[in-house]
Amino acid sequence: MLIEVADLKLSIHANPVLNGVRLTMQEGEIYGLLGPNGAGKSTTLSVLTGLRAADSGKVNVLGLAPMQQKRELHGKLGVLAEDSGFYGWMSAHGYLHWMARLYGRELSAVEMARRLEQVGLNAANRQAIKTYSRGMKQRLGLARALLNDPQLLILDEPTNGLDPRGRREIHDVLLELSREHGVGILLCTHLLDDVDRLCSRIGIINQGKTLLEGVLAELLADKTGANRYRLRVAASSATSGTLPQGVKLLAQEGGWLHLDIAPGVHPDAAWRELFALGWGITEIRSEGGGLEELYLNITETEVVA
Amino acid sequence: MNPIILIASKESGELLGSGRGLGWLLALSVILSVLALLLVSNTELSLLDNAQVVYMVMGTITALGGLLALVLGSDAIAGEKERGTLIPLLLTPLTTTQMVLGKMGGQVVAWVLMYALSLPYLWAVGSSGQNLVQAIAYLALFGTPVVLGFGFYAIGLSARFGNVRTALLAALITLMLLASPLLIGPSLRQSTLGKLFDMVNPFSAALNTFDSVVIDSQPFSMQLGRFSVTLIWLALTLWFARRSAQAMEI
Repeated sequence: MLIEVADLKLSIHANPVLNGVRLTMQEGEIYGLLGPNGAGKSTTLSVLTGLRAADSGKVNVLGLAPMQQKRELHGKLGVLAEDSGFYGWMSAHGYLHWMARLYGRELSAVEMARRLEQVGLNAANRQAIKTYSRGMKQRLGLARALLNDPQLLILDEPTNGLDPRGRREIHDVLLELSREHGVGILLCTHLLDDVDRLCSRIGIINQGKTLLEGVLAELLADKTGANRYRLRVAASSATSGTLPQGVKLLAQEGGWLHLDIAPGVHPDAAWRELFALGWGITEIRSEGGGLEELYLNITETEVVA
Repeated sequence: MNPIILIASKESGELLGSGRGLGWLLALSVILSVLALLLVSNTELSLLDNAQVVYMVMGTITALGGLLALVLGSDAIAGEKERGTLIPLLLTPLTTTQMVLGKMGGQVVAWVLMYALSLPYLWAVGSSGQNLVQAIAYLALFGTPVVLGFGFYAIGLSARFGNVRTALLAALITLMLLASPLLIGPSLRQSTLGKLFDMVNPFSAALNTFDSVVIDSQPFSMQLGRFSVTLIWLALTLWFARRSAQAMEI
């Protein structure tokens, strides 16, 4: 397991900031940590990275205790903190060389070019960092986080300041790292689109407490009715008879058939079987809400409660 | 490469590559030039004994060195924090001791440059006397631990307060307190409290040594007690800087 956090509690100046955070993350997983401003996401990250000690609870990152085995952990961890700065007088090339040496690594020219290319900074690598846009600094921050070829990458708002193309490029880099190199990625972001595209598991925290944690697809199906669909079928087609296993007809109105697909049944398989039964399906629409609805429901429920 | 050297090289590069470091060196040159000119041309000051003049220049260089160390030290950690560059450093396998010593490496470079820059002025005012070599040697021997101690002290304050202005203010108050023997009258210095303060004050230890060696031509063996005070000051401030850096809040 990459991260194991249970019942994490922390007060800062007698003010409880974390009050029962839990988080479990496996190898190669991309985990989205969500929550409103001030929910305790960044504080959780600072505990995970050994920058802050917890008052109580279990914290285990890469099999290490962050506060006690800080140096060892930092050698295996890549972090892009929110609003992390750079030495503006250095160039990206010089800065990455210098940071790599702090990790005990000497980057060859080829290796440096590959790393800069990976984040799309090769063209500007000799410019002083102070001339960089926010998006370029985010890319450089990601390159810095990857310098030690980490087993676990912790990213706080990694696509902040990036244009849509830049965001897509960073998504591709992260997906490649996860799929091809087995790097675990903990993503802390407000951009639900990032989570939707990248994350397999999510955790939602509010007021320092984990409200929900699990596999994204399952949570969406369970909490927002993401397993419900409506189908338009050709008037001449047959829609009576026995339905495939796991498919339930809920209602029929205005030319639409409302169906429920049981968890575990892949919708594509269900459509194929319905076609085989003679259903002339012309249109399929999901009736369930997305991540935004799930997020708003969970955080709103907690505030009301 | 050793992480301490890496941090020190970054600090030195930042100091020398920015206008800030060059500005300091220019300011130092101006102050020493004005002082040297006054000592030579002012009617009253030009009547001072040559050894007295050298002693005054040595004291001024040490005070300015301390001031530079306080300014650089106050910015060392709090400045990085304010500019957002501290967290990336803390997330490397660097220890806090390595970071503190690396930061000090930058200050060593600044002090060495300042010392080298002051040599022509010492020569200009002291070449006609007999104790110029001693003055140069004792400025290095006693000035260095005092100045670097101020640097460690300011780094500690910088880590504790996490704010450059607060750290600098606290550091300047301490410098003024320790430099007060220069300001208070001889009668107060001769009181029990004054003597006790003189005994434990590293700044006084350095100045009294300069006085004893340059003006009274005393040997080094008579300065061992004062030398110990400066070394204890250096060790204590290093301990303070390390503890503060380990305990700092992010």
